[in-house]
Amino acid sequence: MKYNTITKNNINKLLKLSVKDCEVYVPMEAEGGDVLFQLLPKSGPELESSVHKINLRDEWTVISLKDIFFPQIETMFSFNHGKITPHVESSPKLIFGVKPCDTKAMIFVDEFFKRNFEDIYYLSRAKDRLIVTIGCLSAPRPSSCFCTSAGTGPFIENGFDLQLVDAGNEYIVEIGSYQGEVFIDSYRSLFKEAGVDVLSKINNIKSNAAESVGLKVDFKKALEIMEGDTDFEENYSRIGERCIFCGACIYVCPTCTCFGIFDDKGDDQSVRMRNWDACVFEGYTREASGHNPRNEKSLLTARRYEHKLKYDYKINDVSGCVGCGRCLSSCPVGIGLSKFVDEITTNERRM
Amino acid sequence: MKNEYLPHEARIESIQKESFDTNTYRVVFVDKKIRDVFHYHQGQFAEISLPGVGEAPISITSSPTKTGYLEFTIRTVGRLTKEIFSLKVGDLLYIRGPYGNSFPYEDLKERNIYFIAGGIGLPPLRSLINMIMENRSYFGHIKILYGAKTPNELCFKKELETWKKETNTEVLLTVDRPAEGWNDHVGVVTKLWGKTKIKPDNSIAIVCGPPIMIKFAVLELMRSGFKASEIIMTLERYMKCGIGKCGHCNIGEKFVCVDGPVFRYDEILRFPTKENVI
Repeated sequence: MKYNTITKNNINKLLKLSVKDCEVYVPMEAEGGDVLFQLLPKSGPELESSVHKINLRDEWTVISLKDIFFPQIETMFSFNHGKITPHVESSPKLIFGVKPCDTKAMIFVDEFFKRNFEDIYYLSRAKDRLIVTIGCLSAPRPSSCFCTSAGTGPFIENGFDLQLVDAGNEYIVEIGSYQGEVFIDSYRSLFKEAGVDVLSKINNIKSNAAESVGLKVDFKKALEIMEGDTDFEENYSRIGERCIFCGACIYVCPTCTCFGIFDDKGDDQSVRMRNWDACVFEGYTREASGHNPRNEKSLLTARRYEHKLKYDYKINDVSGCVGCGRCLSSCPVGIGLSKFVDEITTNERRM
Repeated sequence: MKNEYLPHEARIESIQKESFDTNTYRVVFVDKKIRDVFHYHQGQFAEISLPGVGEAPISITSSPTKTGYLEFTIRTVGRLTKEIFSLKVGDLLYIRGPYGNSFPYEDLKERNIYFIAGGIGLPPLRSLINMIMENRSYFGHIKILYGAKTPNELCFKKELETWKKETNTEVLLTVDRPAEGWNDHVGVVTKLWGKTKIKPDNSIAIVCGPPIMIKFAVLELMRSGFKASEIIMTLERYMKCGIGKCGHCNIGEKFVCVDGPVFRYDEILRFPTKENVI
């Protein structure tokens, strides 16, 4: 691994320069105080005012970067007097300030969209991108983050192009790919080679960060248990009774990728679109005949946990949960994956 | 990279009325290049759509040995199929595929085959049945047990007569509510047990129909001594993409659209137990 440094003052300069070359997405404060990945305007006063909203501290983006490559709603085709036009987007992108857990989730989703049939809409959007990950010094959501248990943070060893380590007045920059190195070379004057003590500095910061993540569950044990045949019907029924099936946990989950496809008819032009869907919705598996194979609350609940902790793990050797904690922090009734993991590994009721 | 979601225009060449709410459409791709590369296997399906209306997975009912055209037997149930029902010869359908796995044709050779179908469950089997009829001598005895609500709702009435005349082939029909002039059986399809010998000896049963029918047919087959591995079925499931992405047809780690729709019953028994797969 190679290391550089960049002062915090230079970050805005870097972003203002790179916005000339590609689309730049960065966590920014939105009205109401939420932090979301937003597209940095190309120039002018819009760019200046946006730069002040950039937030690279240990704050959660409400949704991970997934909607940059997999928007909540997107047009797949337009139909115009017999002509079919696909709408495939592929502009180069810099995604700056991605949390380690979200970086891991993105790699997981990449693999999913590549498997079997390639999904051109996702893969084109994600084709030409640079990911600058930023490690967390402390858990952004102390009561729900459990990355150290899931092995996805607060810093990661690979999967990023660059990873920023907050070292006070400057960031130490870990270079994780050739593209990351090329990026630094393009803005060479803003970066410095790291000093000889960089490794001990980094290790110190990383171990303090890991210690600060307070919520711990036995994730590994949960995956082992889920591999077996233990029946968690009691848990699924109880959680299913509590769940209001709003789908919030699905929408904020960085690895959930289910979608619906629907058409919209216009006078002149019709479109075929896709939008996020959620397996906890009652109509998700309902057929035109009315038959619904997953017609009980407990089955919907089972599907969610077994998909993340059993089947994803079986297929990919990594779980579909990255420990970001968004499902818990977004749930109106206090259900979360970490709580389920805790229930099945301790045999104590948590929900 | 190929855009798997891109549908291709296909012109309706003929429409065969099957019942009051079901038609068989023969379609031909407008683009000759697509016509040449669209090779499918028995039991596969395609995504059929109308721009501005929607898209749905539909079994290909023509035999893969017949090239140049495709046939789909469609019952009007939802928004899209209602719209398709109003189309005329010369109109366009939009098609992509073929998708899914297929019936294990080679493994069926030398075997006795029981087809057990209910209602709109016969169309997904027709492709395989006709392929077998074209090579009749490779197979043992064949019995087609087919039930519908009313005589009018039986699909492929003419073909059923043709199949009946094949050597060593039996076709047994039953309806829930007989109409005047109905001389065949009355009752659900499992009522046909006892009307003909159903034995597991060197046999494979292939089942398709509404979930409740599949459930009871499988029960009867197991009671008759069939092993789970000797029962094959093709599953219905709500689907959107047809290519293992949208998630709707996911059962356990399987996608019905990619790993299915054809499954052996022993595979289905390994699915998550509580789900009402059939």
